[in-house]
Amino acid sequence: MLVDLQGVSRVYPMGATECVALHAVDIGIQSGEFVSIMGPSGSGKSTLMHLIGCLDRPTAGSYRLDGIEVRSLDDRARSQLRNRKVGFVFQSFNLIPEYDVLENVELPLVYGGVARQERRARAEALLEAVGLSARRQHRPNELSGGERQRVAVARALVHEPPLLLADEPTGNLDSRTGHEIMKLFHDLHARGTTVIIVTHDANVALWSKRTIEVRDGRIADDSGTPAAVANAEVTAGVEPGPVWREEG
Amino acid sequence: MDLREMLRSGVKSLARHKLRTLLTMLGVIFGVAAVVAMMSIGEGARRAALEQIRLLGTNNIRVRAVAPPENEGEQNSPGLTPRDAERLRAKLPTVRAVSPLRFVESTIARGSEQPSAVAVVGVGAEYAVLTNADVRRGRFVGALDDHAARRVCVLGDEVARELFGPSDAIGQEVRIGDTRFRVVGVMQRTRVRSGGTRVIEMRNFDRDVYIPLETALRRFTDPDFPRHIDEIAVQVSRASDVMPSSLVVQRIMSAAHRDVADFQIVIPEALLAQSQRTQRIFNIVMGSIAALSLLVGGIGIMNIMLATVTERTKEIGIRRAIGASERDILGQFLHETLMLSVSGGLIGIVLGALMAFGIHLFAKWDTVLSPLAIVVSFGIAASVGVIFGLYPAQQAARKDPIEALRYE
Repeated sequence: MLVDLQGVSRVYPMGATECVALHAVDIGIQSGEFVSIMGPSGSGKSTLMHLIGCLDRPTAGSYRLDGIEVRSLDDRARSQLRNRKVGFVFQSFNLIPEYDVLENVELPLVYGGVARQERRARAEALLEAVGLSARRQHRPNELSGGERQRVAVARALVHEPPLLLADEPTGNLDSRTGHEIMKLFHDLHARGTTVIIVTHDANVALWSKRTIEVRDGRIADDSGTPAAVANAEVTAGVEPGPVWREEG
Repeated sequence: MDLREMLRSGVKSLARHKLRTLLTMLGVIFGVAAVVAMMSIGEGARRAALEQIRLLGTNNIRVRAVAPPENEGEQNSPGLTPRDAERLRAKLPTVRAVSPLRFVESTIARGSEQPSAVAVVGVGAEYAVLTNADVRRGRFVGALDDHAARRVCVLGDEVARELFGPSDAIGQEVRIGDTRFRVVGVMQRTRVRSGGTRVIEMRNFDRDVYIPLETALRRFTDPDFPRHIDEIAVQVSRASDVMPSSLVVQRIMSAAHRDVADFQIVIPEALLAQSQRTQRIFNIVMGSIAALSLLVGGIGIMNIMLATVTERTKEIGIRRAIGASERDILGQFLHETLMLSVSGGLIGIVLGALMAFGIHLFAKWDTVLSPLAIVVSFGIAASVGVIFGLYPAQQAARKDPIEALRYE
């Protein structure tokens, strides 16, 4: 199991009261899956993404990423885990404007302690793979939206993480470029990369093999649990009810 | 993140706002320049003082002739004479060497050449020992020269060069005033120039011409006071003897002069100590200005870095998502501040050296740029960077990565 959440809760203190963003969520994602996480804003899907991406820690429950328990890790270890295991792709690309394309792609390797020569070679190879070799000396603001997102994907993949985590990757793109990016994710998945896309766009979710719906901090629907798969096969056409396990 | 990457990213972000970077560095530049200039002046003054002590002679007490007060009859006191020197030699228990001095302003010439002005000094044989003066060629004025009032002279370095150039002066004849003298020695060159930071008025020793005291008294006679001398130089054995001995000298002299205040006792080393206290006050004032400038400079740097951290919140978020730890972010911003203050420090060192050189040129003060000054001011600049960079860097590192990513 690559992503393994068991009874994960995330509670934010809000003055005297508490705001519960996630209620004891259980999710298991195998290596090689293509999953979309859907839900309206405020449903807790962003919190879920931050937890899976190790930017945040659960307040309760257990989260194992590639077998490593994240909850007990300190900042340094968690940062290293992010660096090695997760490649982020964001809606607003999040490239560093002062750095050229090549330097942006290299950056995860810098924090990963990879030697300069090898960094350069690997970054060049990935730019080649996303078809942007010719643009490697350009600044992000000299690129189109689609090109920027391809640079971001190259950056996410440069350290060869087992998990690609995309947050509304097509949100700032027109539908044609959005399609191209989704095609890129599709190809990556076909080559064995685990892809998780957080989106509220049903068309984007269609690309994935499994959809997890989050509502009010709980899993409202998961097409990938064994029960749901069985249920879907038996009662084809019938809306499956909410599926989650109680903590304990 | 390795050091090289930190430096690279630092250079990039500082180069982005060149004017801002320069303005931010100004405080540190001026502060460090003040430190360097101050230390250069201090070191120059210290060396000049040491050289002065060496030239005036260590453990010296000088008795100088002064005009007696109007109402006290000149008849009561014979004035300062060679007999006073003999008296001190006989009665002062701690005495090591004594030399009476008589200063005559005269001219010197070789053959029929144009005469030039020199300070002729009538001295006793012990004068060279007393003042640590070294004879470069030949010998100094001896006791026999004095007894026989011989017409021999010892030339200061500059005088010898002027008259004889590179050729040997020993045995040559010169004309001092209207009298012929034979050159028996040439002095070693001294390194103290006249003017500038001198607290004790010092003539240019290199323009001195030494002749036996008796010769000076007979050949350059003052018709009113034929046996008067200008000064007696006394050397005592130990440094700790100088102050108590000066009191004894005072008593011996007062008794001999029937309490007429026609002499004055001067202790060169005490004057130099006084000058060094003045120097210390100067150092404290300059040091305070430098410290204030560095403080203001440091606060300026901190201010700009805090603004930079806020401005670059998004970048911090991106770096954190990619795998930067809090320590990486801390290091990145700390290095940036350090680069800012250290570059400011380097510019300040250059500026301070130029200031010291300028002071040397225009005020004729001795300034010495010591390696210590450079090391100290570089250290100060780096400390300013660390002290005032730590807080902004901590602010950057403590940013919540999720909040930082949302920042627009």
